[in-house]
Amino acid sequence: MTSPGLLDHPFRDQYASRLGALPGAAHAWLDGLRQGALTALDAGLPGPTEEVWRFTSLRALAKVPFIPAAAADDVDITEVPHGVPSIVGSARVVLVNGIFRGDLSDTDFGDGVSVRDMHSVLAASDDNVRQVLGSLAPPKSSPLVALNTAYMADGVAIHVATGTRAAKAIHIVSIGAAGAEPAAFHPRAVVIAAAGSSLTMIESHVGLPGQPYFSNPVTEVAVGEKAQVRRYVNVAEDDDAFHLATTAVGISKAGTYDAFHVGLGGRLVRQDVEVKFTGEGASARVNGAYALTGHSHHDYTTFMDHSVPSCTSDQVFKGVVDGKSHGVYQGRILVARDAQKTDARQLHKALFLSHGPQVDCKPELEIYADDVQCAHGAATGEIDPDHLFYLTSRGIDPDTARSLLVEGFLADAVAQIKDSEIRNLFTADIGAWLKRRDIRSASS
Amino acid sequence: MALLEIKNLHASVAGREILKGITLTLDGGEVHAVMGPNGTGKSTLSNVVAGREGYNVTAGEVLLDGQDMLIMSADARARAGLFLAFQYPVEIPGVSTSAFLKTAINAKRRAQGQPEIDAMEFLKLVKEKTKILDMPYDMIRRALNVGFSGGEKKRGEVLQMILLEPRVAILDETDSGLDIDALKVVSEGVNGLRGPDRTFLVITHYQRLLDYIVPDHVHVLTGGRIVASGGKELAKELEAEGYAKYLDAAA
Repeated sequence: MTSPGLLDHPFRDQYASRLGALPGAAHAWLDGLRQGALTALDAGLPGPTEEVWRFTSLRALAKVPFIPAAAADDVDITEVPHGVPSIVGSARVVLVNGIFRGDLSDTDFGDGVSVRDMHSVLAASDDNVRQVLGSLAPPKSSPLVALNTAYMADGVAIHVATGTRAAKAIHIVSIGAAGAEPAAFHPRAVVIAAAGSSLTMIESHVGLPGQPYFSNPVTEVAVGEKAQVRRYVNVAEDDDAFHLATTAVGISKAGTYDAFHVGLGGRLVRQDVEVKFTGEGASARVNGAYALTGHSHHDYTTFMDHSVPSCTSDQVFKGVVDGKSHGVYQGRILVARDAQKTDARQLHKALFLSHGPQVDCKPELEIYADDVQCAHGAATGEIDPDHLFYLTSRGIDPDTARSLLVEGFLADAVAQIKDSEIRNLFTADIGAWLKRRDIRSASS
Repeated sequence: MALLEIKNLHASVAGREILKGITLTLDGGEVHAVMGPNGTGKSTLSNVVAGREGYNVTAGEVLLDGQDMLIMSADARARAGLFLAFQYPVEIPGVSTSAFLKTAINAKRRAQGQPEIDAMEFLKLVKEKTKILDMPYDMIRRALNVGFSGGEKKRGEVLQMILLEPRVAILDETDSGLDIDALKVVSEGVNGLRGPDRTFLVITHYQRLLDYIVPDHVHVLTGGRIVASGGKELAKELEAEGYAKYLDAAA
């Protein structure tokens, strides 16, 4: 049987031989998980004939001779890049090439909150983490999860105790940097919010220019009964970077997961978000905004798996595309026969600043229950001439008017972020990005 | 010299002639009302003068202080002192009213060689002007016109007009969708701006608005032409007798 995957990829024997020792290899369950992942990886990286990868090709990634970042001993990062914000009321965790850097991270995360490096958690075979790791995101769920699982060496494990409202937001800063050779890393995060707890986490994914790097994070989030997790992800990777992230969320009864994904940088970015509702009355909001120019390719692929009744999922993604960029939104909603009273909605809107870019949007609703509310919407268009005339009729020159409208288009998505500080931060990031890329001079 | 001169203006949309030779002369201090039934070119007139795309001017001139408006872009016309209060102000999600107002004020200031307005001065100014229009000050924090009622949108238009202090203000059916209280407030806002350096072109279907913004001249527009002009009593006559006799005349 021929595999539809890309068999000729850089993450084969030669790559594995340079990895060094992986933590926890002596634990049978972990070794078994990794071996299973390696076997799954035998099918190769996903190829274009796989439906969920139809719009996003990994050929360019497969051609880069990546080495494990752990073997890149010529990389020396001693501080967080200046562009990364300090967020008031948050404690910072810094990963450099996927490696938890205690020397750059805060140590006090508040009562009831434990934040540990995944390397020692794996080495110690922590029971809490073991229950979640590989169960929300099993290696067979996707080749990228398999790749991560086979080679995971570090990352972060977060646990919020029952009933604890985390006093500080946790700000995870991931810094990518290659040395003389392109480097790849596979950080793993496990987030457990126990019953009745609440947690806010922010992720800034940044990198340094140079040889391309490939960040392949997998994050598993277990939201307990009546627990609340807010997660704000800002992908502002270097222009040449690859960022293929997978998030798998499980939400127990009456729990909520509220996420926002901003995509402003990276050559090839894919964010897969899968939410499994495991208890009634759970809700998820997964929203996002992206702005692309040049040859950037961003793909937001979500899967809302409604298998139990009375859960809510809500998604709004908005993107601005310019140059020769390519934006993709694929939203799958599955409502099982028993999942009555499901309320599931999704909306994708794209704004074209020129005729060069491409946007693909694929809603996919599979509904087997009869008493549900489901809606999807998609719209693409250029700047509305009536809007432009309204602004210019007040004396605002067309370039400035256009930039106000583009910022406004994305600000309207960002407005869904409940934390005002994060909202302002992301709005400012988008504004700065638009200025830097000179989007304002883009004419229709 | 007249403040605004519209001379023999002809304009068409998609090959169909809508304006068939409009001539109006507006001096400083004057309020001119243009009345007429629906579909006779009232909105086309305001759009063409303001510089909206999609209209083909086939003949005529529009001069503001003697300056040719028709060769200028909409934003340049606005900076030269032209203002159009829209019949249907568009809702623009994501663009905050305050950012929009500030950008517009600064565009005008820069054009006049003045420094940009500072944040405190801006807030003070807006606070003062919203009070005149009986508007909640915090509406400037909301997205531009989004979720505003019809009355709020029209007050918003007049607020912009007050902040931008135009030389020529065109009010396109500003009375539509307003209840009597809002109509009074909006009219007071307009009347407060009347002065020797400014002129108003008030476009309306009904006479009601002209009870509050009392015009010096009233013109009847039907079939793309001004078919009658007179004093404010002409508005009363139209209210009583309708447009029938002018429609017959135009036909």
